[in-house]
Amino acid sequence: MKCLLIASESAEVLFHWTDREFQQTVQQQYGESQEEGQGLPAFEDSISTLFAPIIISCSTMVDRLHESYTSFTTENNHVYVLHQMDEYLYIAVNGDGEEGEDDLRRKIYVLKKMIEVLFGMVTLSSTLLRRELRPQDTVHRARLWRHLQTLLETYCHLQQNDQSFLVEAVERLIHPTLCEQCIEFLERRLVQQLNSSVERAGEEVLHAFILVHTKLLAFYSSRNASTLSTSDLLALIIMVQNMYPSNMELEDPSPEEGESTSGSGHESFYTPEPSPTDPDSSGSDEARKGGTPVFEFVDPDIQMAEDSLQTLEIPPPDPSTPRRVFLEVSLKEGLYPMMPHSMYCLPLWPGITLVLITKIPTGALAMSVYKYLEAFAKLEKRLMEGQEGSAASRGQPNMHEVRNKLDKFIKLLGPREIQTMQLQNVWTEFKNRAFSRGGPGFNKDLIPWCKHMKTQLCGIYKQCFLTDFGPGHNSQHLSTSLQERAQAMVQEKLMDWKDFLLVKSRRNITMVSYLEDFPGLIHFICVDRSTGQMIAPSLSVTERTTSELGKGPVAQFIKNKVWKLVSTTRHYLQKGYSTVTLRDGDFFFCYFLWFENESGFKLEAGDIPVLPDDFAPIGMLAWDYYRKLLRYYSKSHQGEVVKCYELLTVHLGVIPAEIILQHCRQLASRLWEPTRNPLL
Amino acid sequence: VSVMAEQVPPDSRRCSYFFLYDGSKVRGEGDLTREGICYFYPEETPLDQQELICGQLAGVSRCVSELSFSPVRVLRLRRHKFAIRVKDDFFWALGCPVEVPSVSICQLLDQLISLFCFYNGSISLSYQIHSRDILAARWAQYLSRLQSGSTDLHHIFSCLKTIDSTIVDPLLLLKAALILQACQRCPLVLAGCILFRGRVVSTQMFPELTMKVMVHENETYKKVTRPSSSSGWFGGVSSTTVFLTASELQYLQLTPVHKDLQLVLSFSSQLTPAGDSQPLKSRLSRTLSDVGSTDSDLSDPGSAQVPQKGSFEVAGNAVLCPVVSQGATNLASHLNGKQMVEKDEPQFHRCQSSGSDAHGGEQTCSKDTATIDLTSRGVDTERRSCDKKEDGTTAQPLGSGGSDSQHESPLIPMMLYLHRVKGLVLALLVEPHFLNDSTSMEEVYHSSLASLNGLEAHLRTMSPGVPGAQGPPGLYSFAHYDSIQSTLTTNLSAGGGAGAERPFVRAASLLHSHFCTTETLQEAIIRSASAAVYGTRTVAQETYFQQHGGTLRNSGIPNHQDSAFLLPSKARHRLQKHGVNLL
Repeated sequence: MKCLLIASESAEVLFHWTDREFQQTVQQQYGESQEEGQGLPAFEDSISTLFAPIIISCSTMVDRLHESYTSFTTENNHVYVLHQMDEYLYIAVNGDGEEGEDDLRRKIYVLKKMIEVLFGMVTLSSTLLRRELRPQDTVHRARLWRHLQTLLETYCHLQQNDQSFLVEAVERLIHPTLCEQCIEFLERRLVQQLNSSVERAGEEVLHAFILVHTKLLAFYSSRNASTLSTSDLLALIIMVQNMYPSNMELEDPSPEEGESTSGSGHESFYTPEPSPTDPDSSGSDEARKGGTPVFEFVDPDIQMAEDSLQTLEIPPPDPSTPRRVFLEVSLKEGLYPMMPHSMYCLPLWPGITLVLITKIPTGALAMSVYKYLEAFAKLEKRLMEGQEGSAASRGQPNMHEVRNKLDKFIKLLGPREIQTMQLQNVWTEFKNRAFSRGGPGFNKDLIPWCKHMKTQLCGIYKQCFLTDFGPGHNSQHLSTSLQERAQAMVQEKLMDWKDFLLVKSRRNITMVSYLEDFPGLIHFICVDRSTGQMIAPSLSVTERTTSELGKGPVAQFIKNKVWKLVSTTRHYLQKGYSTVTLRDGDFFFCYFLWFENESGFKLEAGDIPVLPDDFAPIGMLAWDYYRKLLRYYSKSHQGEVVKCYELLTVHLGVIPAEIILQHCRQLASRLWEPTRNPLL
Repeated sequence: VSVMAEQVPPDSRRCSYFFLYDGSKVRGEGDLTREGICYFYPEETPLDQQELICGQLAGVSRCVSELSFSPVRVLRLRRHKFAIRVKDDFFWALGCPVEVPSVSICQLLDQLISLFCFYNGSISLSYQIHSRDILAARWAQYLSRLQSGSTDLHHIFSCLKTIDSTIVDPLLLLKAALILQACQRCPLVLAGCILFRGRVVSTQMFPELTMKVMVHENETYKKVTRPSSSSGWFGGVSSTTVFLTASELQYLQLTPVHKDLQLVLSFSSQLTPAGDSQPLKSRLSRTLSDVGSTDSDLSDPGSAQVPQKGSFEVAGNAVLCPVVSQGATNLASHLNGKQMVEKDEPQFHRCQSSGSDAHGGEQTCSKDTATIDLTSRGVDTERRSCDKKEDGTTAQPLGSGGSDSQHESPLIPMMLYLHRVKGLVLALLVEPHFLNDSTSMEEVYHSSLASLNGLEAHLRTMSPGVPGAQGPPGLYSFAHYDSIQSTLTTNLSAGGGAGAERPFVRAASLLHSHFCTTETLQEAIIRSASAAVYGTRTVAQETYFQQHGGTLRNSGIPNHQDSAFLLPSKARHRLQKHGVNLL
């Protein structure tokens, strides 16, 4: 029984996702009559009625006691996690024991991250985001919510089954020669050719990468591109997986699995088939074109019957239309969050995808908007702190300078659009109040006008990068033929490798190669937090394939132990413990986090900040804990490049602790030895 | 600044909020929330704020329980967490700083409620009989009593204050046990304990019950003892009505007293026949006087004491720690509370099972229950929370099922008889009519008086200072928790847990929570840049150890020569002299 919802302060539901069980519970409470009603709106009403008292109590607590709820636990072990972010309240519920408080909090943060990737800086204005998340038009709303719901489901599936999403780091395919060849190919052939083509319509390919399922075969960034952060890369992988799901079991389907997914079993929440209601999805269209095959994992008729949203289906847009994604850009002059990019997902074969991330021609505008937004936010902060007059206006950045630049900026935008006119009007009013002689000047009364300015700027941003982007406006992107050419080029390059890659991705590295040197070692995970990459023996647990851990229950048991271990060690890390050893049943677990400098010299362990329980989750996807940890640690190691590593091991409990620790030491040094380092 | 944050007491007492809210008083539209507030701590909280907190917490909890079909157990805010209990219209909430493990705070609230019920009977009845003010004073008293732990560790582990067995002659413990057993031969005496200056010397009751009894002892210790009318002619004797749950009563009646007694007697090589052939009176007095003389023989530190020490300890422990074996529980779980409920029944039942053959008594019980519905849940209450087979979230509703039934099952009135000799108290749980039975009372009183005086005199001279200040602090910190006996041994200074000891307490708290939620976990070492703490547990015990001094030189990388990994062997070595044996 699972649920996640976003509510506004006025208890309006801005988004919800529920599993079937939760839906049934709600319907039971409201009687069967509701079920036959309007479908979506009726259910939405029930949800909002049920949660309204909780939401209202939350805001009462905040207003009157400056306290807020963070979680509830019931006697039958249902867990509710509440998290206030800006003006929204996120509530995540679990009633089946599969997720704890930490998992739910992580889910909330991941949803927020996905919303940021999809809506960019519009998220900075609560008024605008409310309108984006809850469009008046119910068809549009259903489509958008369905898209977010499937993204969330895809994430949950990956988090529960993929080690790289468990530890939130990217996993590479370990095949140095092939990887190198591919990177070279992307650089010399593909990106060069694309960026020199006239058909690119002003776009420029910044990053190109090939995914085999969730694993990275090759990644190339053009020279003038900023680094793609691990957080963004992981979010993009979720989006790709949502479009072209790769279900491991699918590759050798068994009758039982087919049954369990088409029934109402708990797996049915995972809908690998790209949702036909999704406006940007190209999946079903591809299938119709007969181009690349797409998994038909759920019988479309059953899906149709089960999903009331299907009735709201509208024809999907042109598959060659890229997705707008908002990613972080770090330049020499600073960090720009949520800058608009286009993302092209070109499926090569089932499970293998080429992804292109391009810079759009109007990208510079986003940077200006961000700078102004920042300027007004800082001014607002100064005014709130009680600064007035020139103290407020001359701060960083100087408002007089902002005034000149913003005047020019508005002129450049041109008065043709309504949005620009609105900005112009608010800006004129702001100037009258702030700068004119007789006006009130810089004091507390200006605070609401700072807010208005921010809203207007977000509006401009939305108009340029969100509205502009959809059916009718799809001329501005890499031409379809160019995309097809790119697809064909890579297909040709990898043709001979394709089957190998699919198998390799399932058994990237195996424990067999370690057994001789490390007797008693059952499993390990190694993460380089500086690069956001991980390495671990495969842990595929399917009914059909026998993994090294054996079949079925045993492998599943060990998998569960590994998952539990990760969450346990995160909890200790959150409380400042960077080394943990546990003797648990027949196993011995170790966890180490340490720092090195660039030449591999081990640095002294430093104090790790102790965080409250309801703090952002430890990981790299939704909130980059490790980046902040590295920054924190680097303060005491100025002038040195600091690297951060983690190692988790699972041993048989009968092995003496001393031997286990020796193993850990050897593993730690061996895996990251430059010559053996398979990651780069 | 948060209003709530301001109210956290500076001495970081375990509890920052506690309230009891009666929803039945606030039904109509016009009813004020304050009508429902039975008690609110801290009492100086402005009324409008009390209303706000009660109203919101009770309201939101109800909403959540309707969604989940189950009452809320833990409710967390950013700076506080609340353990919640709901029974009919009554809503209890106990708030602590978030650092306190959920396990511990839930346990504390359950203790508090059961403590109230022990002295006052059922909640709803109490509020019908007594005024809110009187009951508020009692809540305040129980709350302050439960918060009186000396170190921060006492906020994590709920434990009994016991006399430090390492500095007390084991013979005295044995003597105390024998006094209790002798008293128990009076069929109207259920069980008892002997306390000295607020610490347990010997008890026949399980820890939870001993804890409850001690609250009253502590109160009378402060006041001038006022003998109740029925016992006015006994010096230092007082009594009060208490209420036992059916499961508590069953448990007491099932304790294999006779077996233990025989064990003890054979060990102390007293030739006292255990049969019933002798008249009750002579047997009572003879046993006690015999032991008294033995005691005086051995009490001077002579050689005679040494070789017998081992065997005495065995006997002493057997008595000190009432058997909480699975067997006893299973047996108890087959019994039903219902027959105890009818007020005439207990006496009959008691007479049955207190006959010479304990086994016979059990059989009678089982036969009775065959026709009645079995409610075995109640027995679970007494099980340790850690035994629960729950694995997963940190906020486990502890003893949840059990406590419920504890409140649901009717309470049986009994008497608590206290006999004070200066700092020493003999506390006995007795049948209500014991106080009217002058023969029995006289017997118990006179037969124990001399022994109590003797024991008091010895204890007064033998217990020098505050126990717990063992071992050189500064070298290492340790805490050893015995979950069966609910005792905590530690070398943390009183009022400790601050300054240098803070990391140790924090680690112990984290590890304790982890042990409680992960049944299979046996050992753990956790290390931060400044502290490495080792924790280990068995079914009955948890031990935590931290080595101080010597710089913790490490880079965090795995290294078997790292000092952190030497902790297990160091703990084994160091703790031996504290009587802690780590295998």
